[in-house]
Order: sequence, then structure tokens, then C-alpha cells
Amino acid sequence: MSDAALQIEDLAKRYPTGVEALRGVSLRIEAGELFGLLGPNGAGKSTLIHCTTGLAQPTAGAISVFGHDAIDHYAEARQAVGLAPQEPNLDWFLTVEETLDYHAGYFGMPKRERRERATELLETFSLTEKRDERTRTLSGGMKRRLILARAMMHRPRLLILDEPTAGVDVELRLELWHYVQRIKQEGTTILLTTHYIEEAEQLCDRIAFINEGRIVGEGTSAELASEYGVGNLEDAYLALVGRKELSRSRIELEAAS
Amino acid sequence: MSTAQIRFATLWRREVNRFMKIKKQTIGAPLLETFLYISVFGAALGSRIDKLHGIDYVVFVIPGLIMMAWSINAFANNSSSILQQKFQGAIQDQLSSPASPVELLLAFSLGGFMRGLVVSVLTFGAASLLVDLPVDHVLVLIPSLFLVGFFFSQLGVLIGVRAEQFDDVAFAQTFILQPLIFLGGVFYSATLLPEPFETLTHFNPIFYMINLVRYGFVGFSEVSVALSLLALTAATAALFAVNLRLFSSGYRLRA
Repeated sequence: MSDAALQIEDLAKRYPTGVEALRGVSLRIEAGELFGLLGPNGAGKSTLIHCTTGLAQPTAGAISVFGHDAIDHYAEARQAVGLAPQEPNLDWFLTVEETLDYHAGYFGMPKRERRERATELLETFSLTEKRDERTRTLSGGMKRRLILARAMMHRPRLLILDEPTAGVDVELRLELWHYVQRIKQEGTTILLTTHYIEEAEQLCDRIAFINEGRIVGEGTSAELASEYGVGNLEDAYLALVGRKELSRSRIELEAAS
Repeated sequence: MSTAQIRFATLWRREVNRFMKIKKQTIGAPLLETFLYISVFGAALGSRIDKLHGIDYVVFVIPGLIMMAWSINAFANNSSSILQQKFQGAIQDQLSSPASPVELLLAFSLGGFMRGLVVSVLTFGAASLLVDLPVDHVLVLIPSLFLVGFFFSQLGVLIGVRAEQFDDVAFAQTFILQPLIFLGGVFYSATLLPEPFETLTHFNPIFYMINLVRYGFVGFSEVSVALSLLALTAATAALFAVNLRLFSSGYRLRA
């Protein structure tokens, strides 16, 4: 069997506060897949991502990225990963262009290549006019674009998007969807966490539900709906979080009767 | 350049870029402060003070001021840079890169080291215009200043990593570092102090650092130069080892 883009086995994470964020998560994402991770706030999505990228240290279990152990061979594993985190974590001292340039430098990209790649991504994410501005002066949407461009700078084989469309306007959301589909076609594996069910449904090849630190369902949108005995992914998600009464199909049915 | 060299150069460039972008605060202000010390203690008060150990008072004071400038700036730069990046979350960009703990630690350390170097060289240049400042033992002076700079860079990193709020950094600088520096003999000779203060001064590690730098400039030291150099080297190496352990374990850097 060829190496998975991301293979997680029995991953557990207990924070020093005693909170058990992950309780034996196992997951396999194949190369070239667009994989969605859905779950309520505090389910363990960001912790799983942080363990994968080295921002959190697993308590137990194993993570490998394209066959490289994320702990023992962290350099090779991290080289393959690009992370667009949920919270804007931009360096206030840097300009937009410097943000991209420095990030690529951390990943060892030579100067000429950095400059060309930055120009390309600034254009793609409509940031060219802002290239010399300090990051703290950017609007929320612009910061989101920059975070995505930064994650793409070193041409990662696995791109992790942690709620990339949270709080962005419709225009940017659609732009991002197009971009995500384009880079997927180019062969990039994508792990997407989102709260927007339609986003996961439209973009993802496979989806996993995570709740209370455990993977509680995995498959295509149709498979998950079938597993929960409902008609669509949204209802499956509502069943997961115990809020079936919010089901739109159910409300419509009740209104009609 | 290899991938690792590019990575390290970028990490280091980020730290230097940070303080150069706010150079009025990071270079200008400490330079003015040191210049004011030289003016007040050297030109104003110094003219009324006899020579100390056969050395003009202003010349006696300047080596300590240069050492103080390097140490405080190296410390302040690294502690605040790391804490700011932790607050912003921006440090995640470096931490999720393939950079090793050694690369990260050295890059953060060298940021403050460079700021201290710039301020000290400018202070030396300005002081040389005002007084005839000798450099008697350059082979002691340069290693001593480099060790002092690296020691306080490491101390800044340690406090920056441990700190959870800006108050923690301010506390370390205002209530620990500055009193130790001021009471370490920058402005006076320990032999002038009554007991038990003279003896107590010998328990202050900064006293030895000041004497090393003073020996490098004017050829006078109140303590053994060789022993002081040895102790400073050992202390710097120990601090580096502690920091490397923190970076390797991810203490207060990785969740």
C-alpha cells in the first residue's frame, strides 16, 4: 500500500489542564483527496491539526505525513504541510510581501523562487496592491487571503485549511472554493475543517465527523447520511450533535402538516 | 545556500528586521540613554571626582556603560520579541516549519545579540568622540563582550519563553536585571564600598562581567580575568543548555 498523505493512529492529546482533546483518533487521508473534518466547537479539530503540524505534542499515538513520522522525522513531515490556521496569526511587524517571503524562507526556498511564488500568489489572492502594507492594517478578509497565500507559499503536498471561510464574505468564500478545487486538481491533498455543511458537501471527497475527541463517522456525504439514517449530510451532523429538532426537512414537514 | 542555511538566515533576518523597523525605540532610545549617562556621570559629576585606580572617572565608567547597553538590549529584544510573537500567534509560523530547536533558539538569540552589538558599537563610537578611550586588551575585550551579549540574549529568550504577560518581562528587567547591573559596579569601584556591601558585590555575577569588559578597555580589573572568563563561559553554556531543553520540549511554545 502506498503512503497515505496523512495517517493518524490512536492519537490522544491531553492538555496540562487535564482536558482530553483527542481520545484515540485514527484517520487515513489518501494523496490527492479533499477530506473534510466536521464537528462542533471543542470537538478536537484544531488539536488534531496542531498535533499534525507540530504546534501541539501528542500524548500518545502516531502521525505520519507522506510516510514521514511527524515526531521522529518532523522536518520532512512539516516540509510537506501547509497550514492556514483558524485564527489570524500574522506577524504585525511584517508587510504582506515579507510575510510570504519569510514563510517560504523558513521552508528553505531560494530567494528567486520566493519572489516569483510571492508575486504569483499575491496576484491569485488579489493582494498585489497591498504587498507593501503592514499586516495589522489589513481588513479581516485580506488577512484571511494572506493566511491562505502563506500556507501555499512553499508548495505543500498537504494543505490544511482550518475553517478558512469562517467570517468571510460570500465573494471571498466562492473565490476560495474555486481556488481549493483548482489546487486539488493540481494534485494537492487538502484537509478542510469547516462549520459550513454545504461547503463540505460541495468540496469534499470524504468527510469525517469528530466529536468529543473521537472520530464518530467517516465516509462520503451519502454514506454518512445513510449511517445516521437521514436524508442528507446536514441532518447527519445534527444527529451527531443531538439537535435533530433543528433539521430543516423536519421543520418543513412539520410546517406543511 | 543549502535549505537549512536559507531557513536559518531567514529566521535570523526576521529578528533583525523586527528591531530595525522600530529603530527609534530599539536603537535610538538606548543610545540616547547611554549618552545621557556619559554626560551626567562623566562630564558633569566626573569632573568633580578623583581618578579611580589611576583612571579618569569618565573612562572608568564607559566600559560598564557599553557592557550595560549590550546586555539590556540583548535581553529586552529577545524577551519582548518572543512574548509578542506568542501573543500574536505569529510564532506558529516558525514553530510549524521544519526548523530544529537549535535553529530556532540560535535565531531568536542572535536577534538580541545583534541589537546589543549595534547599540554598543554606536556607544563606543560616540564615547570615543568625547573622550580618549583606550582598548588595552582587545583579545579579552572582544570575547568578553560577545559572551556577555550571548549570555543576556539567552536570558532574554528564557524570560520570553516563560513569560505569560508583559508584566513578567518588565518585572525581570526592572526588578532583577537593572538593580544587578547598577549594583555591579558600572559607576563605581567595589573597593569604595563599606562592608558588607563590598563583599556582597562579589556575589553579583554582573560585577565580574563589568570587570572583564573594563579590563579589556583600560587594563584594570578588581577580580581574576581568567577565572571570570571561565565562569562567564560556563554560565552562558549552561543557560544555552537550559534553553535548548525548553525549545526541544516545546515548553510554553507548543501546546
